[in-house]
Amino acid sequence: MEIIKTSSLVKDYDLGKLKVRALSGVDISITAGEFVAIMGPSGSGKSTLMHIIGCLDRPTTGEYYLDSELVSKLPKSALAGIRNRKIGFVFQSFNLLPHLNILKNVELPLMYSGMGSRKRRSKAMEILDSVGLSDRLKHKPNELSGGQRQRVAIARAIVNDPSILLADEPTGNLDSQAGGDILEIFNNLHKAGNTVIMVTHDPVVANRANRIIRFKDGLVADGDLA
Amino acid sequence: MAISLRESLHIGISDILMRKIRSAVTILGIVLGVMCIMVVLAIISGMNASTLSWMEERGGASKIDVYRNWDYDFSKGGYASLSLAEVSRIRELIPEAKAMNPQVQMWDKTLTFRGLNYADAVMGVLPDFQIAENWYPARGRFFGNLDVRESSNVVVIGSSVARDLFGTRDPLGQNLNMGGIMMQVIGVMEEKIWKNEGGGPWSGNVLEYLNRQSFIPLSTAMNKFGGDNKVNSMQIIAQSPDQALLLQKKLNTILLNIKQGKEVFRVTSAQEQMQQMKQNAQVFSMIFILIGVISLFVGGIVIMNIMLASIKERTREIGVRLAVGARRFDVFIQFMVQTVLITSIGGILGIVSGFSILNLVSGFLQMPMKPNPNMIMVALLVSVGVGLIFGIAPAIKASNLDPVIALREE
Repeated sequence: MEIIKTSSLVKDYDLGKLKVRALSGVDISITAGEFVAIMGPSGSGKSTLMHIIGCLDRPTTGEYYLDSELVSKLPKSALAGIRNRKIGFVFQSFNLLPHLNILKNVELPLMYSGMGSRKRRSKAMEILDSVGLSDRLKHKPNELSGGQRQRVAIARAIVNDPSILLADEPTGNLDSQAGGDILEIFNNLHKAGNTVIMVTHDPVVANRANRIIRFKDGLVADGDLA
Repeated sequence: MAISLRESLHIGISDILMRKIRSAVTILGIVLGVMCIMVVLAIISGMNASTLSWMEERGGASKIDVYRNWDYDFSKGGYASLSLAEVSRIRELIPEAKAMNPQVQMWDKTLTFRGLNYADAVMGVLPDFQIAENWYPARGRFFGNLDVRESSNVVVIGSSVARDLFGTRDPLGQNLNMGGIMMQVIGVMEEKIWKNEGGGPWSGNVLEYLNRQSFIPLSTAMNKFGGDNKVNSMQIIAQSPDQALLLQKKLNTILLNIKQGKEVFRVTSAQEQMQQMKQNAQVFSMIFILIGVISLFVGGIVIMNIMLASIKERTREIGVRLAVGARRFDVFIQFMVQTVLITSIGGILGIVSGFSILNLVSGFLQMPMKPNPNMIMVALLVSVGVGLIFGIAPAIKASNLDPVIALREE
């Protein structure tokens, strides 16, 4: 089953007088349960693609189907709900809220989905337990190591049972030991049936995926099955 | 589905606690503004209360006064005085009045008792005087209609007269020499005391002048103390404040008829005076409320600026919230709730500190003040209102952030 399908995705950025084309007609297709790495030099458009796949941004033209739903035509207000229910983000710089303890950080997506506080608390605790952080619930992010922080971020990304897990250079800020642990978690999530899409420019990291899509100058250079 | 208000409040409170000093500074403007409004409202209700109690003391809301019209040009003829016959005709024309008390004033009359002299005003009045002034003898009796008919040589003295002239001696039954005429003391009036709570320029017993007066029958004053003594003022008490306004008009017409259309008398009512005072108080309160509103406005602008700066600082946080599924409306509400929460806390602190400085300000301004439960509601509503108005711009700015750009923010 195709979970992601794009056709002729184009994204232009209007920088005043200068128009920059970040994506110039991207067709990709990703099947549910795949572990895909997206590679490419900086400026190749891979981050832009991530933003569109993650429903943080909309393409200038072209179509994007997520779970067979045409989300590229949805209004921005509807995209928030899609992000909440179907997408889990993991960022290079973790992006945890520094003043909330890690339990609250993980509860955040559940809160915006309208879940009651007791229910989301137990769910968040369950997820944090699965990434091995059940003894740190009341800690603030800055009291944790980089690897632990990224595990909190992963917990937050999967707490809502999303359709896809999007990771943008998830090991970029970590040493190789911690990075290895994080990749192991992604591997396990993939094995458990999750769809994982990871942007990276580290070939070692990319090799953990079962498919690599290479980007160059706003186009897919290699690796798309479609 | 948007997040619940409880959730928003929870986020708002933890945001405020996280940035304690900033929140305290933000709140300060609102605290001062609300404090200002509290004090103003207390001054206004204090003034109203003391005006009302003064009115009550001086005959209540149903009182009508008739006295010489100082604006009338007396060179055109006419006298601002009434004979006994005219007085009784007026009384017959206004049977609906509860009391009518015409007066003859002898401003400087010397009373002598066993070589001691006491000089002050002596008033010729009717028994209705007691109803009109709501003032009765503490000892002995007041003179009755019989004394008036007979022009009896009797006198009721004020409490200060009794003290200064008789000391510890019992004045009742004693004979006073009043300008060569012997008068028997039949009563001593209650002591009149009215103190202004605020003290200051109005401090002391403002009614002491009444305790220094003596009262004799109107007929005695007119018949035995020289032909110049005519009735030149009257107090009339109506059955109700509403009737007083009708009676005021009626009396004006009657007096114009008696005086052949010459406006030698002025007729005023407590109702009219009260309305005048209310108008004056309104101007006064408008000025002060304007000052309060301006300070709240300044406080609101300060809050708006701090919130805008805080949003700039929290751009990344907003980006993260949007990424995990917060709607624009959720972000809008988050910042709106936070602003209103800040102004409400400011309002509550303002109410508390306003109350606690009330006595201080009251002493300093030498004005009577009266805390009023309504002002708590007013202050709260105003502070919530300021939050709603000045919270809109920052909340819109926060909710309009582009998630991609917000996440890139360092």
